[in-house]
Amino acid sequence: MAAVDVSELTKVFRVPEREAGLRASMRALFQRRHRDVRAVDSISFAIGGGEVVGFLGPNGAGKTTTLKMLSGLLYPTAGEARVLGFVPSRRERDFLRQITLVMGNRNQLQWDLPALDSFELNRAIYRVAREDFRRLRDELIELLDVGDLVRKPVRNLSLGERMKVEIVGSLVHRPQVLFLDEPTIGLDVTMQKRIRSFVAEYNRRYEATVLLTSHYMADVEALCRRVIVIHHGRILFDGPLTQLGSQFAGYKTIEVALANGAADLSRYGDVLERDADRVKLRVEKADASRVTALLLSEQEVIDLTIEDPPIEDVIELVFAEASE
Amino acid sequence: MRPVRVAWTFLRLGAINELQYRLNFFVAAFQSLLAVAVALVVLRLVYSHTTELNGWSEPELMCVLGIQILLGGVIRAAIQPNMERIVDEVRDGKLDHALTKPEDSQLLVSVREFRIWRTVDVISGGAVLGVGLARLEASVGAGEALSFAGLLLVGGVLIYCFWLVLATGAFWIVHMWFLAELFEGVYATGRWPIGIYPGWLRYSLTWLIPIGFAITVPAEAVTSRLEWTTPLLALAFAAALFLVTRWFWRFGLRRYSGASA
Repeated sequence: MAAVDVSELTKVFRVPEREAGLRASMRALFQRRHRDVRAVDSISFAIGGGEVVGFLGPNGAGKTTTLKMLSGLLYPTAGEARVLGFVPSRRERDFLRQITLVMGNRNQLQWDLPALDSFELNRAIYRVAREDFRRLRDELIELLDVGDLVRKPVRNLSLGERMKVEIVGSLVHRPQVLFLDEPTIGLDVTMQKRIRSFVAEYNRRYEATVLLTSHYMADVEALCRRVIVIHHGRILFDGPLTQLGSQFAGYKTIEVALANGAADLSRYGDVLERDADRVKLRVEKADASRVTALLLSEQEVIDLTIEDPPIEDVIELVFAEASE
Repeated sequence: MRPVRVAWTFLRLGAINELQYRLNFFVAAFQSLLAVAVALVVLRLVYSHTTELNGWSEPELMCVLGIQILLGGVIRAAIQPNMERIVDEVRDGKLDHALTKPEDSQLLVSVREFRIWRTVDVISGGAVLGVGLARLEASVGAGEALSFAGLLLVGGVLIYCFWLVLATGAFWIVHMWFLAELFEGVYATGRWPIGIYPGWLRYSLTWLIPIGFAITVPAEAVTSRLEWTTPLLALAFAAALFLVTRWFWRFGLRRYSGASA
């Protein structure tokens, strides 16, 4: 059985709409206008137990709405979702006990108290046996190296520190499914790395299923083999991260180091960068092998690498294509 | 008793939280004393011109006042902060955290806040009630004391239901900043027995905003005015309102969309 199973899931929001200005505001008092926004439009996918899947899309693509439907916060307008066999919108206790929703821009810990007090509160709500709770809490504290932070009032912690203790608080009931919505947003690179490696370790240790949204491609590249790309509420791609480039990017980059650094290579492809004797070229995917052969035969090549374009560029390309 | 345990956990946390701010205690105590003093002066002023008000003597009205202050303390310590938090969280989408917990959502949103320093009103209200009873020179029997306690509890439930219905309105009306002021204004009417108000207001304060049931009825219990049907009516009304509130909360939840969704 798939841990997450989504079929034709749709969410339509009815949003009030009016023109700018005082006159429009007055008119809106008597005559309300609404517009239906299809935040999620008939999406289907399944995620196996223990899988870590990246959920990618620009702002307003429908990622958070999907996560909220999967965690039982929003009622779908149409379609069906099942998480661990449960219908999320019914919000059954046995379901909620096995999931967690971490939102990078929100904080659920008691602001004026040390995080330890909030952990204890979660223990009571999730009904975790005291012994199990202590063991897991201490394990998580050690994994994220927050031993000296959990005794300070949350308000005195930095953004990154707060996120780390927030994650501990969200996992003290050892959830099987993690919905992580931008967990590294606003954090510095070191903190991002720490959280990434923690999520990977949690997934490995407890075979938890993780659905992650992030604007940082480094998060996705480090954690997810599979990605689902969503735009305007529809799925554009669902498959291995490695295939995303080959499916959407019609080009490859060839980086070549030459004995004669000054040689003009513009006839082989678009020159993207030139740095001393190294040149980066963009060539049509179908031409890559032919151009490579030409370069090797016509130029004095010291080193040559062919790569798919960076994932950020591919994603940008996907969204640009979809918007056209 | 699972709900009691959850409520106790939050109450404990709320107390730990508030105990950090001792100054709040002095502010709350000063406010409470000032409010009691003003109310007593007004009462004295009224009774300097008359000996009874719609059949209520001054000591009896002191009992009503004591109950109004006492219940006001319970409301400000445990009910109002929770309801205001619901309104705020519906607006900025923070209700997400409460709704993803494996606990009854209505229970959870109703017990998360506890302002321990506001309970000084419970003490000062109790003191005013005590003085009123002493001045009455009538002994309050065990039966009366028991029905008083029970009716006060029923009153608390009624006020809670009323507040929750208002707070649930936040699922439809985003800005509900006026709620606290609105309630404070209406609650002040409970300082007088509802019998003194004209018919339409009396009915409104009984059935629409159940302040009559919450304050006057317990006062009737300690001043030997209670008719045997009143407690039954209060209990039935509280049970019915509780069920309606529960349904309304769940109905409202379906409209919740969160802020960023």
